[in-house]
Amino acid sequence: MRNRSIIIGAIMLALMIIVALAGPSVVDQLLFPGERPGMRGSYRPYQLDSAAHPIGTDGDGRDGLMVFVSSIWPSLQIGVIAGATSTGLGVVIGFLAGYARGRLDTLSRILIDMVLVIPTLPLLLMLAAYIERWDLYKLSLILGLFGWSFVARVIRPQVQSLRERSYVDLAVLSGENPLEIVFLELLPPLLPYIGYVFSLSIVGSMLAEAGLQIIGLGAGGLPTLGFMIAKGFRESVIAIGLLGQMLLPAGALIYVFLALNLINTGLDEVFNPRLKTTIEGGD
Amino acid sequence: MTPAPASLAAEPSAAPARRDVFLYVLRRFGVYLFTLWAAITVAFFIFRLVPGDPMNILLGNLTRVEGRQRDAEAQEAIIAHYRQIFGMDEPLPLQYVNYLRKAVLGGLDLGPSFVEYPAQTKDLVFRRMPWTIGIFTTSVLLAWLVGTGLGALIGWLQRSRLSQLAVVISTLLQITPVYLVALGLIIYVGYTWRILPAGGPYARHLQPEWTWEFISSLLTHAILPMLSNMIVIGAGFTLGMRALMISVLGEDYLTFARAKGLTPFTVLKDYAFRNALIPQVTALAIIVGATLNGTFIIEVLFQLPGLGTLFVQAMGLRDFNTMQAVVLFSIFAVLTLTLIVDLALPLLDPRIRRTA
Repeated sequence: MRNRSIIIGAIMLALMIIVALAGPSVVDQLLFPGERPGMRGSYRPYQLDSAAHPIGTDGDGRDGLMVFVSSIWPSLQIGVIAGATSTGLGVVIGFLAGYARGRLDTLSRILIDMVLVIPTLPLLLMLAAYIERWDLYKLSLILGLFGWSFVARVIRPQVQSLRERSYVDLAVLSGENPLEIVFLELLPPLLPYIGYVFSLSIVGSMLAEAGLQIIGLGAGGLPTLGFMIAKGFRESVIAIGLLGQMLLPAGALIYVFLALNLINTGLDEVFNPRLKTTIEGGD
Repeated sequence: MTPAPASLAAEPSAAPARRDVFLYVLRRFGVYLFTLWAAITVAFFIFRLVPGDPMNILLGNLTRVEGRQRDAEAQEAIIAHYRQIFGMDEPLPLQYVNYLRKAVLGGLDLGPSFVEYPAQTKDLVFRRMPWTIGIFTTSVLLAWLVGTGLGALIGWLQRSRLSQLAVVISTLLQITPVYLVALGLIIYVGYTWRILPAGGPYARHLQPEWTWEFISSLLTHAILPMLSNMIVIGAGFTLGMRALMISVLGEDYLTFARAKGLTPFTVLKDYAFRNALIPQVTALAIIVGATLNGTFIIEVLFQLPGLGTLFVQAMGLRDFNTMQAVVLFSIFAVLTLTLIVDLALPLLDPRIRRTA
């Protein structure tokens, strides 16, 4: 019962990863042997759904389904790389802030709160204006650099509350140095929580990436789900009747978010039934 | 909120409590000013240090508009002229000091727009600001009210079928990105079913004036953008409040309150709800920044003339002063809203007055 949501979420995610990895070649081999469904101008653009093209063709004369399945993997990659970047940074800063006392603590709290409230979207957009050649890694790193404050914000009170537990006092008394205390005493009990935050960061990064694409200022040309949605909206594919080219990428995004959310709920329940109250209690 | 449990804070006398509140407010305001300064500084240097010379882009625009090329010497002269106008011929630290001085002492003078010169970016921003702030605050507050009420109810009735269904629905809505909700509303409610207008601030043939026709047009055009925001944030607040409520329900003082023979409604209102409310207000402060991001995207999708659209337009034209002004004003707005929420906290939670 308690594990169910993790298992369902993991299965959902695994299915999506399989589609993302195998999808392009499967679609290529099975539906379009000897053709180039992902090449611009392979077909007449905006063809309606048919046996040959299950969700039609897009404005560039590519098969819609092929575009869809090849968009999933880059989206997931961006989510994971950016999520890992922001979680890594956020955990380090959150631990520093949580473990420090006195002025350093106040200062780090102010810093975290400051970065947290700065609206990131305009800054991201601005960077997008400067960077000429986008690639997936650049975009992911930048998204990650803007996401750490949230992680630090939620990790810090966790560390602070753990720091006060008596077993940590015991470790201090038995002569462990601060590094040992952080890595041996404070980090292990927080791992599930860090996993939870990591998965939240993945969602946040994928969300931000698609958002950038949808207002038309993202890394144009990177074939992601967000780009497909944005392109569909600009070319009003729904009005043309190509429903699938909008609903499939939107559905895929929501599906991934749902899977991650299920994993999150499960992680939260299984490892730390009481965590919820301490997190929300904050400072 | 009811004033009754204020007696919980039963201080020996009222005076020390008042002084503590004063100190808390003063301290919080100091942090606010510091954060504002730091954010302005960061934004200033990000804008200056990223590669790419806005002047070359400006010149490129000029050339395109006039449709003829100038010789190199004339180009240099034009760039030098503009650099002087925009104060960019000085060393960076001096530019920074000037910038701060003008922004603070010069009545928020953030320099002229590059593209709409000599229009002040401040005026451009002020013209657009009401749209963003209006959509943003109304939808966040409504979402918070609805979500908090609904969440408290669902948490209180956690075992009923209906509230389990509500949890599933809110989870689904909460994970849906706000722009996908907006796109869905635009496509279905706006264009396919044609129930509500889904683009523009008001009907095209109208002029802004105090007539019923204009105001109703304005309001109907605002429904969908606000709804997009509200659905997603409201679902988040509902789930948050539910979790808080459930954790509060396990506390001993509730069992005690029930044992005292208080009515379920009194227990819900004065004991469970009030205690769950405090983190929920903190949550309001935390989401302000993220929601502003969402509002910017919503404005672009619904073609509302707010700060988000101003930013996107300015970005298309590489109008750096305007972009910078928008960033600064959104930082200012977010910080100020967060400040207001934080200052409201001690009213709700007597403990903060003392620990702060």
